[in-house]
Amino acid sequence: MMKLRLNTSVEIKDVLQNVPAPASVRIPIQKKHKPVVKKKQIVGRGQVVAENPSKSAYGIGFVHSSIDGIVEDVLPDAIVVGPIPAPKEGEEPVVPARPEPCAELDSLANEELCRKLLELGIDTSRFHASRALIINGLNPEPGVLVSEQLVRDAQDTLKAGLQILERAIKPGTVKLVVANGKQISLHGCTTVNASDVYPATIDPLVVHAATGSERPDNVDVISISALYRVGLVAATKLPLMEAAVSVGEKVYRVPTGMPVQDLLNAAGVEHGPDWKLALNGPMRGEALSDLGVGIPENCTAVTLVRDGLYPSVQPNPCINCGECVLVCPARIQPGMLSRYAEFNMFESTRSQHVEACLECGMCTFVCPANRPVMQYLLLAKKQLAAQDEAVSTCRLQD
Amino acid sequence: MASQDISKKIYSVATAPLWHSGRTLQKNMLQTLLALLPVIAMAVYRYGYDAVEVMAWAGLTAVVTEALVQKIMKQAPSSDDFSALVDGLLFAFLLPATAPVWMVVIGSAIMIILGRMVFGGYGGSPICAPALGWAVLAISWPDFMDLNGMLLKWDLVEPLSELKYFGLDAIASVTPMSLLLGENLGALGASQALMVLVGGVYLLSRGVVRWFIPVSFLAGVIVTGLVYNLIDPQLYASPLFHLLSGSTLLAAFFLMPYPSSSPAWRLPMLLFGFFGGVMVIIIRTYGVYPDGVPFAILLANLCTPLFDLIQPKPFGGR
Repeated sequence: MMKLRLNTSVEIKDVLQNVPAPASVRIPIQKKHKPVVKKKQIVGRGQVVAENPSKSAYGIGFVHSSIDGIVEDVLPDAIVVGPIPAPKEGEEPVVPARPEPCAELDSLANEELCRKLLELGIDTSRFHASRALIINGLNPEPGVLVSEQLVRDAQDTLKAGLQILERAIKPGTVKLVVANGKQISLHGCTTVNASDVYPATIDPLVVHAATGSERPDNVDVISISALYRVGLVAATKLPLMEAAVSVGEKVYRVPTGMPVQDLLNAAGVEHGPDWKLALNGPMRGEALSDLGVGIPENCTAVTLVRDGLYPSVQPNPCINCGECVLVCPARIQPGMLSRYAEFNMFESTRSQHVEACLECGMCTFVCPANRPVMQYLLLAKKQLAAQDEAVSTCRLQD
Repeated sequence: MASQDISKKIYSVATAPLWHSGRTLQKNMLQTLLALLPVIAMAVYRYGYDAVEVMAWAGLTAVVTEALVQKIMKQAPSSDDFSALVDGLLFAFLLPATAPVWMVVIGSAIMIILGRMVFGGYGGSPICAPALGWAVLAISWPDFMDLNGMLLKWDLVEPLSELKYFGLDAIASVTPMSLLLGENLGALGASQALMVLVGGVYLLSRGVVRWFIPVSFLAGVIVTGLVYNLIDPQLYASPLFHLLSGSTLLAAFFLMPYPSSSPAWRLPMLLFGFFGGVMVIIIRTYGVYPDGVPFAILLANLCTPLFDLIQPKPFGGR
């Protein structure tokens, strides 16, 4: 078995890689998005394909096509854009309309600028005006190199992103958190060194490292990848159409919606049905059953793990060893909470502070009984949220 | 189009995290068995075939009892995690080498049933099963559990009984080195102090056992032993004697850190270990049994829920 290190900081060897443009893309959309294209419609690169119907300046961003093409299908979770069919004889070839660079970006400020960024594809739901801003410059998870790669290779983009954010949300102070021993500066913000050992790299713990307080309510935190997305929009004045994705030991600039299969082929990494795949890192990633899925714009990595390399999760009984308690950064008892959830005692999970869970996955990682500890906790949280919602609905009806 | 062909293939999925530390109960128990090997070897060297017989019957009975009860309780059999075998061996380590087979079998079965299965199996029990098995036998058949009486065919003495019944002068000739090497009578495995120490340090180094409980337990023994020793050196034995005699070391590394019966947080673990250590000396000084270690463990186990009440504030809690 491979010896696992949970250090996330690495020596970046390669430069940021480009991938060949995919012939067709499958652009993920969320439930809140409203598709604004129809089947067979010709779309240009950068054209809006789904909108956020809310008029607020803070929310999930619009979705844009990352290639010129024809809308092949509009699904509940994705919009499929394929290559434009060759024109029939005697017909003019179709020229898709691409949007012009948005010159307004330079003149707008505050909420209007946030709204514009949202329309250009930036998720502004976690932005708030005049708060301290902390940039999480640590690689999010072991084996995911995105943050350090971007800090090394995309300084200009990050700087552009920071400048536009300064106009959009006017943060009080800006701090950049990087791994211990690294000396990086970014556009004049204060650099703070912190541990790079997972789970110290997750946002709440990075905030704690930077500010010294736990869950302060006047702090926004943004990852380097998110800052890079803002920077891309600021620098090109075009909608967001790419993600920086770590595959193996390299980081790729991937058009949004590129099928995972095409990315893996381009990256040349070994994969097959005897591998498990996940979007994002190995600790919090979302498992993939289908390589046709498109890369979402906030994706940071595609993780591959060979089947059988690690013991698989089983519904075994908890053996009370306390390993999860020792690794839990939230200082709760995941093992005990998981047993409450296992036996539907959700009120007990509330009194035992399940809401403090940071969802880092360390409890499942260390569990010698191979229990899906974090999933039990997630289940408990979901059940409690559903109960609360039911209760408040009842109150409204009174 | 390659991506469309592939989209018909369904990959196996797993819940996050996809990585796992690789530690499983089975691996932990195999490591523990490995750590017990030197003790077994030394016990066989000292007590010969008698020790083999006791260990074999205890281990076999534990595994078979667990399998039978699991069958009755309609649980999936879990003999392959070796936890029953480990418990059986630890239980055997507390017995005199000449213990009658029927008693070993009864004790081992009771240990599994009362110490584990009534609570749902390994990991559910609030008490250390081997210590419970020992306690049941020590109360039910004290004569067969009396180390001095059972081991008459060896021309040696059991230091703790000597201390109890004849005072400090009786153990003046017992050197720490002889205690380390198990050159006195004692429980068949627990008295092989050096080998227990080797196994315990191995488990610590592999991370199977955390240092909190062993260290604080030994600290409790040493500090309390020292206090008594300072009160009257003519009356009370030195802390080193308490540390190396009886089943102190076996308790420190194997019985006190028994997962389900010890607390989980760091500070409670330290308090739990220290409390256990203090109880060992108090029971040895005032109790009716020469070696109070298994009782000290059971007492500490009973206090585990209390220690576990000392909890840190959750992250961001106000």
